[in-house]
Amino acid sequence: MTSSRRPGTSESQRGQDRELLRRYHEDGDTGARELLIQRHLPLVRSLARRYAGRGEALEDIEQVGAIGLIKAIDRFELAREVSLATYATPNVVGEIKRHFRDKGWAIRVPRALQELNASMSGAIERLTLRLGRSPSIAEIAEELKTSPEEVLEAMEVGSAYSTVSLSAGPSGDDELDPLETIGGEDAEFERSEDRAALEPALERLAPREREILRMRFEEGLPQTQIAQRVGLSQMHVSRLIRKSLAMMREELLRPRPGGGPVHEQDRRQGGRTLR
Amino acid sequence: MKVMPRERIDLVAPLAGDFYAVVRLIIGGIAERVDFAFEEIDDLQLAVERLLAEAGQTGSVRLSFEVAENRIRARVGPLNERAIAEALRDGEQPAGALTLKRILQTVVDSFGVEEAEDGSIMVRLEKLRGIP
Repeated sequence: MTSSRRPGTSESQRGQDRELLRRYHEDGDTGARELLIQRHLPLVRSLARRYAGRGEALEDIEQVGAIGLIKAIDRFELAREVSLATYATPNVVGEIKRHFRDKGWAIRVPRALQELNASMSGAIERLTLRLGRSPSIAEIAEELKTSPEEVLEAMEVGSAYSTVSLSAGPSGDDELDPLETIGGEDAEFERSEDRAALEPALERLAPREREILRMRFEEGLPQTQIAQRVGLSQMHVSRLIRKSLAMMREELLRPRPGGGPVHEQDRRQGGRTLR
Repeated sequence: MKVMPRERIDLVAPLAGDFYAVVRLIIGGIAERVDFAFEEIDDLQLAVERLLAEAGQTGSVRLSFEVAENRIRARVGPLNERAIAEALRDGEQPAGALTLKRILQTVVDSFGVEEAEDGSIMVRLEKLRGIP
């Protein structure tokens, strides 16, 4: 079907997708599902980029978009004569728009608070370096010449999103970036027996997020050290940890082929429970 | 400003409607009173947020904060049985497993399960201040 063709989506890629979809939907092959996700993450990234600059970190938008991709894979009917990329695109975009819309209630963040939030990361880094420990709220407030209450409010601004209308949607909706190469697995994770046995929910995360969780909850490193290692601000590390845990829990509660949420299946198989 | 020992704050929050941000803000306000560091506040917020996620989507949840000079003790509940069983699980955890118990062990100084007066199960968290 001509309308289902996208630039860079070759016949062989579509054929491989269909075979993977068949293995997942007919045989319950979750490895095939994982491969499909990896193959189409570049599409998610491409779509997510269109919504950047609306008050939400790009990687967070990508994660939300990935949920849309997973839903599209799970809902795809093999009888459909469209490519997975074509079918997934509105799902990914819809998930991203819904994400912004759902968060809209908390918005109307005053500009001063937004600016305070923007300057907090730098202040925390400076103070951490100066004090040799994580600063208190009072210390951050003093550094930024504001009140502790405003610092606390600004901390939560990162959880809210600007009230930008999404009705118009991104420009060039008909454009899709070529489906690029299949996403590569991080070799470090593949080598570790522990990693190989970890729950599917953990594997849904990007390698960087998995590594951050490993450093925090296995190595027990404080956020400040993790931030230094991965080259992000402490506030960003904090948000990634929270979002990763929330996404993993959502993934665990998602019904899978064969019935029951993932964690129920893991338990039946004597596996591990991840929350 | 320092609070007097054994100050207590009780809160009942709806589970629907995404009130996590409100709860986080309240925890931040309480922790700021006892000079918790930014990272310590974040840890306590994360612990409570994970417990709230186990409390379901309907009804309400009770949160109680007992504040002393250098620590905060929080109680959150009622939670569902699986979460409590997970928190109670004894023995070594499998390497690499990221359970609710592992998360709580990392972000708070101690935790446990308590039975409230009405028979419901609450999870107790305690976080100590690191700044001398």
